Amino acid sequence: MRFLPLVLKHLRRNRIRTASTIAAMAICIFLFCTLQSVLAQIQTMLDSASAKRLVTRNAVSLVFNLPLSYGNRILGVDGVERVAITSWFGGSLPAKKEGKADDTDVGEGDDSTTDWSNFFPNMAVEDESYFAMNPEYEIPEDQYRDYLADLRGCVIGRKLADKFDWKPGDTFYLESFIPPYRKPDGPFEFVVQGIFDVDPVKYPGVDSNVMFFHFKYLYEATGQNIGAGTYTVEIADPDRAGEISQAIDDLFANSDSQTRTETEEAFAASFISMAGNLALLLNGIGLAVAFTILLVTANTMSMAVRERRTEIGVLKTLGFSSGQVMGMIVAEAVVLGVLGGAVGIGGSKGLMWMLTNTPGVKDMLAGVGLSEVDLQPVVAASGFAVAIFLGLAAGFVPALGAYRSRITEALRTV
Amino acid sequence: MSTPMVRLEDVRKVYRRDAEKLTVLDGITLDVPEGEFVALMGPSGSGKTTLLNLIAGIDKPTGGRVTVAGTDVGSLGESALARWRSQNVGFIFQFYNLIPVLRAVENVELPLLLTPLSGKERRERAMTALKIVGLTDRSAHYPRQLSGGQEQRVAIARAIVADPKVLVADEPTGDLDAQSAEEILDLMETLNRDFGKTIVMVTHDPRAARRAHTEKHLDKGVLAEAGSAA
Repeated sequence: MRFLPLVLKHLRRNRIRTASTIAAMAICIFLFCTLQSVLAQIQTMLDSASAKRLVTRNAVSLVFNLPLSYGNRILGVDGVERVAITSWFGGSLPAKKEGKADDTDVGEGDDSTTDWSNFFPNMAVEDESYFAMNPEYEIPEDQYRDYLADLRGCVIGRKLADKFDWKPGDTFYLESFIPPYRKPDGPFEFVVQGIFDVDPVKYPGVDSNVMFFHFKYLYEATGQNIGAGTYTVEIADPDRAGEISQAIDDLFANSDSQTRTETEEAFAASFISMAGNLALLLNGIGLAVAFTILLVTANTMSMAVRERRTEIGVLKTLGFSSGQVMGMIVAEAVVLGVLGGAVGIGGSKGLMWMLTNTPGVKDMLAGVGLSEVDLQPVVAASGFAVAIFLGLAAGFVPALGAYRSRITEALRTV
Repeated sequence: MSTPMVRLEDVRKVYRRDAEKLTVLDGITLDVPEGEFVALMGPSGSGKTTLLNLIAGIDKPTGGRVTVAGTDVGSLGESALARWRSQNVGFIFQFYNLIPVLRAVENVELPLLLTPLSGKERRERAMTALKIVGLTDRSAHYPRQLSGGQEQRVAIARAIVADPKVLVADEPTGDLDAQSAEEILDLMETLNRDFGKTIVMVTHDPRAARRAHTEKHLDKGVLAEAGSAA
């Protein structure tokens, strides 16, 4: 510790170089923390999936529906407890939020008046079986009864209710961006009949920024001309998930609409990976940036050590051992890493606060399930560790050079 | 008769480059008693600085034995030698070699970082050393804010702050004007006379050499005594 002031003094030798190296390190750690936070949030979402639930979808693509007749046939598979149609509606609030939008404003294929900034997940489900297999959504009994009794009724999560200040009895409109789910006479009208809560301790990662409504409403309003987006399947024994998935898919192997059944977690992961292998992409970016910064910092440290060769010789002449000189140079690089890491972590935290508190941006994130994205302590600690590692790695080679340098040669350097 | 502060016994230093051998010092034998002030003179390439480096323990002989303050310098390992240097030798360079990012007093404090002294004690000792060289009022200045003579005085303060037994100086006046050179030589005389420091000084300057008690001449790696200067 008694050498620390000396280390810090050396960092002030070339302030521009030091500042730019810290900035480069900060950008690296900022990216690392931000990307890892997004990945962590996605992982939390995946972890919230129940091992007892499977999802059956069209084997070709999620874009294609499955016949409604499949539900009962899946229910007949050994080990299946419940089956519920679960269709992603993809509805958004029309720009005109109060009352029905004009026909001219929200015509088929014309979504120019859709308010995307307020997008939130909304699903058409087969109610009783769906909520029976999703106990995480806690709906008051009386509200649930009212919901079942009203074809236009819907249940919404607490977060959604708070966001729009919706209460039971309130009405709102949604317009889907999926053509088969659009009505020629305008958006769907919904009545809030229930507000559900999610226990964050028992079910971490389950978002209450979501809405459910009757699949029957969607089916009838669209002229009884749609299939099931997916089937959510509850099984008795999670250990048999693979076997039952195979049995379901075998059932429809020779049909026009072949199925692909997987666990809810695998389904969510594949849904996210429709945009490519997100984790691989984000980690790849982080790794490339980290490697680049390693080279930049190593170059900086090499230059700093090269221009101080005589001083290194002087320190050794005064009695500093090679190990102490090496330690001071490594410490210098680590201080760069610590400072850069702190700035990067602070920046990442600031960005996430800004994103989750800026109207519009916040709602867009909520629409893709990232409303809770935040810099977790473990990610911040990892970022800090990466910064220190980069500092150590960058400082090691020039420090080794200083360790090995002979006093007489170093003193001859001008 | 007491053991000399510096004893060189048949010291040889040979540099090798590929198959080529370059003998820089060839069988040097020399005793420097405690409290002596010796000037080493000789033409460029005669091996003066190499000899000084051996005495200071920053280089090791190829053959022979170098004993300083009772220690066989050549027998010490790298870390032990560094520790020995910090306790026994003060080095004064031609170009001062102060650390530019440190203030004068911080430069003087540097060798004391290797001691168990507290920060306060280190600062007190550094100020005492600066007082000896007459630069108390420049303690907070950076090297770039000092004249050449002042820089060299700070370097001398740094060399004596740990109270070493031997001071080695490599052309300490070589980069100074005549007046500053005289001041530095006065200071070295004082350190030798009043503080009992044993000084070995390499110089090209006959006026500087005359301040020493003894002049030694090196030529092509061989020592030839020139007699007492005083």
